[in-house]
Amino acid sequence: MERQIMNNKKRLFSVEPTELSPSEVFTRKYTSHLVPALKKLNMDKSPSPINQLTVKHEVDKALALSAQEFAWSGFLLQKLSSSNNPTTTTSSSSNGARILEGACKEDEDGEIEEKLSELRKLLPGGEEMNVEEMLSEIGNYIKCLELQTIALKSIVQDTT
Amino acid sequence: MDLTGLKWLQQQQQMVSPEFLHILGSDGREELRRVESYLGNNIYDTIDGCISRTSSFQMEPVKNNEDNRVIALRNKRKPEGKTEKREKKKKIKAEDETESSMKGNSNMSNTETSSEFLKQDYIHVRARRGEATDRHSLAERARREKISKKMKCLQDIVPGCNKVTGKAGMLDEIINYVQSLQQQVEFLSMKLSFLNPQLEFHINELSSMMADPRYFPLHQQGSLDYSVINSNQTTSLNALKMETSSSWDVHSQCLCNNLRTDSVSSFFSLK
Repeated sequence: MERQIMNNKKRLFSVEPTELSPSEVFTRKYTSHLVPALKKLNMDKSPSPINQLTVKHEVDKALALSAQEFAWSGFLLQKLSSSNNPTTTTSSSSNGARILEGACKEDEDGEIEEKLSELRKLLPGGEEMNVEEMLSEIGNYIKCLELQTIALKSIVQDTT
Repeated sequence: MDLTGLKWLQQQQQMVSPEFLHILGSDGREELRRVESYLGNNIYDTIDGCISRTSSFQMEPVKNNEDNRVIALRNKRKPEGKTEKREKKKKIKAEDETESSMKGNSNMSNTETSSEFLKQDYIHVRARRGEATDRHSLAERARREKISKKMKCLQDIVPGCNKVTGKAGMLDEIINYVQSLQQQVEFLSMKLSFLNPQLEFHINELSSMMADPRYFPLHQQGSLDYSVINSNQTTSLNALKMETSSSWDVHSQCLCNNLRTDSVSSFFSLK
């Protein structure tokens, strides 16, 4: 009886235990890290306005904590814990004009090397990895960033 | 391409010199390589292989897996054997024999051989005709192919990469994508910091609603009316869905659906 009623109305969660895909696991961990942290921030600093950088710090920390199976999360945590004043770890570097020449054979490798080194800068801990590792870590990092943006969007939209 | 055509191509490659390969061009060589691997012994799931290297973190959602498997079966990895010269001659025989057996056992050997590869300590690379067989260039080639395999994985992850070919273009796309994602995160966290006082209010409201037995009568029987909670959540998440689908693939929509259950249940501490 209960199940029928539940089937008729929209359910927020399923009755049977579901197998969690890794993206679900990540999203759960992420929200469970971030939301209490934000709440705590609110309660601690209610008199003064909340610092943007602090929020960013919390956001990055939640990302690193919920993805601990990857190498880059360790580097990210290191960066976060080492800086007392929370700095923007994922800097939106203005890329400027990247000159795309027609690649001749000699220059091609140089270009690719340049691009790889740029990628390294984007990934936390990228400087210490070799190319193969970095490429697989970038894949994970991109996925986690995507999930993170979705989570943040939904949190932001829920409040507006 | 039917089997006879493939066989013919294979024979052609055996008979001709490196000049032919040169004339074929890189696309043709790629095609020949694919032909070899199709007729070859071992099948190797590229997508699973490259992701399973780091962890068992298979990020592809269920829907895409089928497509990936089809692609993986079509573009099979080249067969691997010992790094010795006589393998070049053995290849013809080996491929003819295994051709028929391959058709039958393709699904089984998928999982078997991929687990075998993971267990092996060192990499076996088969030397192809016309290429150097000394240790260094073989190792170099193995390394290059690992890298290109990973680039292919990245191509699936980053949207819009299919049209671009070549390493440089793809790396460009990847860099742009990562930067845009990071910028989005920054922007969203900035927005969050502005909204934070209201957020607290909302969280308190939400968590108090959750605790209310009228809305979540878990232990009792009776009518379960989620519509009140749903009205808050669905509108925002529907808007989110429309936003994301324009820029990203279907899989992000699936993630949205997952997120819906997750963000609510995370307040719950119901596991």
